[in-house]
This record gives sequence, structure tokens and C-alpha cells, in this order.
Amino acid sequence: MGRSLAGTRIRERRRALGLTQTALAEAAGISPSYLNLIEHNRRGIAGRVLVAVARALDLPPAQLAEGAESALVNELREIAAQMPEHGPEEAGIEEMIGRFPGWSRTLSAQMRRIRDQDRAIAALTDRLTHDPFLQESLHLMLSNITAIRSTSNILETMDDIPEEMQSRFHTNIHAESVRLSEAAQSLTAYFDRAADTGSDAVTADEEIDRFLSGQDHHFPTLDAAAEAGGDGILARTALLDEVAGGPDSQVRVAVGRVLDRYFKDARAMPLDRFAEAAADLDYDPAALATAFGADLHATFRRLATLRRPGIDAPAFGLFIVNAAGHALYRRPVAGFAMPRHGNACPLLPIFQSLAQPARALRRRIALPSGQTFDSFAATIDLAAPGFDRPPVLEAAMLLRAVEAGDRSGAGGPPPDPVGPGCRVCPRADCAARAEPQLLDPRTA
Amino acid sequence: MGKRILIVEDEPHIAESLSFILDRAGYDVAALDDGAQALDQIRKSSPDLIILDVMLPNRSGFDILRDLRAGGPHAGLPVLMLTAKGQARDRSAAEDLGASRFMTKPFSNAEILDTVSELMAGG
Repeated sequence: MGRSLAGTRIRERRRALGLTQTALAEAAGISPSYLNLIEHNRRGIAGRVLVAVARALDLPPAQLAEGAESALVNELREIAAQMPEHGPEEAGIEEMIGRFPGWSRTLSAQMRRIRDQDRAIAALTDRLTHDPFLQESLHLMLSNITAIRSTSNILETMDDIPEEMQSRFHTNIHAESVRLSEAAQSLTAYFDRAADTGSDAVTADEEIDRFLSGQDHHFPTLDAAAEAGGDGILARTALLDEVAGGPDSQVRVAVGRVLDRYFKDARAMPLDRFAEAAADLDYDPAALATAFGADLHATFRRLATLRRPGIDAPAFGLFIVNAAGHALYRRPVAGFAMPRHGNACPLLPIFQSLAQPARALRRRIALPSGQTFDSFAATIDLAAPGFDRPPVLEAAMLLRAVEAGDRSGAGGPPPDPVGPGCRVCPRADCAARAEPQLLDPRTA
Repeated sequence: MGKRILIVEDEPHIAESLSFILDRAGYDVAALDDGAQALDQIRKSSPDLIILDVMLPNRSGFDILRDLRAGGPHAGLPVLMLTAKGQARDRSAAEDLGASRFMTKPFSNAEILDTVSELMAGG
């Protein structure tokens, strides 16, 4: 069975087994109409329903799990939106993923690569144009060259210069030559450092993402050090050694900050106790923050990295931004395309939270696909205490997918409609739209 | 007595060689390395021409030029601007502010002497 959409795979498997929709629905304990929606990929499938359907189809649940596919659909929609001139059939995306999963993944990987390269080019251009060190070095070198050229020209073209002046000019030329060599060496060292990152991820954000996802956002050595009452320095150093760049590189500083927070969280909320309490309190961030005397951000971070081999917790996503919307941390969760380049949906509760930093928000949100998430958002001020200082706000949003059979929101307000970012968002009448959907399905 | 030139340039060896060739060419040359003192010095010494670097400590050549052109007895002095930045926006900023000429480093002594001679002749 290929990596097609979960609904398509369920339908194919059911037919191969010769089961009717009614029979499978009954075996899985859901209604036939609900199964019909799932099979046509109009409803997501997760949690208990996923396990029940997988059991009825005699398949491991992982083989049916959603996640990779919905991210792939989003990626392909974005490709379609970026190149409308080629007339990509957006309506055929799901079918294409179903029929040609390998080609679809290849296309998506190519697009990510192009996007990363675009960013890298922009970053390098920016560096060449605005980097203060480069500007200063070039200015210095041109000044040295001017002094050398002008002084040597005097010595070469004028033959009646007093001896003491000649000697002085020679000394000046020597001094400027030394300064020029030093400036050239420091420039070479600067480029060597830039080339020495040993990675094809050019921007710091990509490198940070790559490191964190390579570790799946878990750092068991830090958990162990916290558990043992240690200071975590050895574990931190060992982890940082895996990060590219020099000790003061932006990537290492940023990763170091993530590790420091992780260790602090691990001390305040030791893994085993936290896992137990989280299960008892139904993974409620506010209840957990109260139980451990921790702030909401720390609790969000601990929940977002809780699920791991040996700990059967729900999958949480975590998104952290500063007040300018710059993504500082992205812990992905299946079905939600974590914004990367400041093109996030402005309706996400995390941005509402920045507008009312003293108030934590709990909102159920719905993506255009129908996938719903419970979101928890809170904002903190990182500025040192003092008067009349600008706040340094950091907002965090924790996400947990609402399971297909979850009725907890029934009778309450409808979920807030949000989207994956304007360019690929099909919501036509959205007051927050900042740019058009490049490929409108109604006109494609 | 030759015509007076004030060089405002913080790189001592450039200032020294400029002073030397201009002195040899018969001009009466004074040099200054601090942007903040430039306008005072212009008022005191009333030079016939100013050679002004853009990047100076305490006050940039652009700021000095703007204040000079704003009015007063020296507002019309010829000013030759020097910079290590050859970028188009610096040149256009210098022109907008009323620089008489703009030269980028590294320049040759002959270029400096020719340009100074033209400016002194009212060119």
C-alpha cells in the first residue's frame, strides 16, 4: 500500500477485504456516514477512531496515521499557488499524492529546497550590502591603499624631497602596509568562518530547526542531569558540540538558549512526575502550571516535548514568536503547517495573545480542511525589570489536535476559522486577508 | 601667499601626503582630523577650498557640508569630497548637498592636483 491519504488507504483496504462501509463502520464503532466522510478525506482520523479502524482492517495504526499527507497537500498547494502560469490542477493534488506518492514527495522536497535557497540568497545579498564588518573592513582597506598610493607616488615622482621627509614617508608606507595586511587577514578569517558552518543550511533559523528536529526536540541527557540534581553543563556542552558554527555563532547562541530553557524546565518539572501529572490532569497546561508552580510558557514547552519513546502522550505542536512575528521556535504537529517566514495567518490566537499579554487564551481553531486544534496561547515579557523600558514580548501557542470523536466542544461556540497563510488559504471572505490566494480553485 | 586649503581627513597618512603635494604645488595647507571642529576652523581661517572626507570622527562630512551650505560668508566655498565608499547613493547625497566635486579613494595625486586647480580657477 502506497503513502496515499488516510481516507483513500482505508477505502482501498476495505474493498480489498471485501467489506462494505456499513460493516467496517460497525466494526470500528462509528457511523457509516462518518466513515464515508473519512474515506473521502473530508474528515481527519486520529486517536481511538484510528486505532479501531486500523484494528478492523487488520493494519497497524501507524500505517493509517494522518500527518505527513496533509503537510504534503499544503506543500503542493503552495507550489500550485506560486506557479499558476503552468496551470497546475489544484483539484487533482490529493489524487496525485494517492497515485504518485514518490513523485509528490520529490516535488515537495524540490520546493523546500528552492525556498531555502531563495532565503539563503536573500541573506547573503543582505550580508554583502549591509554587513557592518564588511563595510568597515573595505573602508579601512581603501584608506590604507589610498595612503600607500599617494605616498609612494610622491617618492616616485618628486626627487628633491628632504631626506627626513623621505624617511618619514617610507615609515608611513610601511605602517599602512601592515594595517592593510591585517585588514585583509581579518577579512579572510571572516569569510572562512562563514564558510565553516559545515552545512548547507545558510540561515541561522534553518540550522536551528535542523538541529532541533534532528533531536526530535528531546534531550534525554539534560533530563537525566536534572533528575540527578546536576548542573547539566556537560550534557549541554556535548549537545552544543553537534551544532555547526563557532562558539559565538547565532545558531549556537540560539540553540544554547533552547537547551538552557529545556534544562530549567526539566528541573522544575521532572520528566516522570510531569508525565504522570499530565496524564492525570488531561494535559491541561494551566492545571499543570499550577501543580508545578511553573509559568505557562515553561509548561507549554514541557508538554510540547513530552511525547517520546516510552511516554504515550498526545502530540503537541508549539509555536513561539516575538512581537514582530519572527518565528523563534517551531515544534511541528501533524496537520498544522507551522509558519516559517512571517507569513502566518494573523487570526491565529498567538497574535491575539500579543495584543493582550496579560491574558492567556484557550481557543479551538479550525483549518479550512476541517481539521481542528485546541490552542493555548500566552505572552510573557522578557525585559529586565525597570521603568519606561520597552517590553520584550514573546508569545507562545501550544496546539493539540482535536480527535475525530471528541465531543468536548459540542454546544460551545464554533471553532475560530484560521488558515495556513493567505497564499494557500481558500477562505474567500476573510477580513484578515493580506494577499490574494494565488490559485483560486473557483477560477482554476 | 598661496591660496588656502583646509583638509578635513582623519587618516593621518593620507592627510600628510595630501598636505605635502598641495604645499609643493604652492598652496597654503592646513589639516584637521575632527569633524566637530571643521566649521569653527573654516570660520577662523577662511580657506579658499575645502577637501572634506565623508567618514569623520564626531561629525560626518555630509553634516559639515549641509551646515556650510546653509548660509553665512563661507556658504559658497568650493568643496571637494573624498570617500572610500564609491556607492552611487553617497555620490548623489554629496551632489544633493552641494559638493563641488566628489572623489573616491584610492585616487591619484595628479587627480587631486588637477581637480583642486580647476576648482580654484572657478571650474
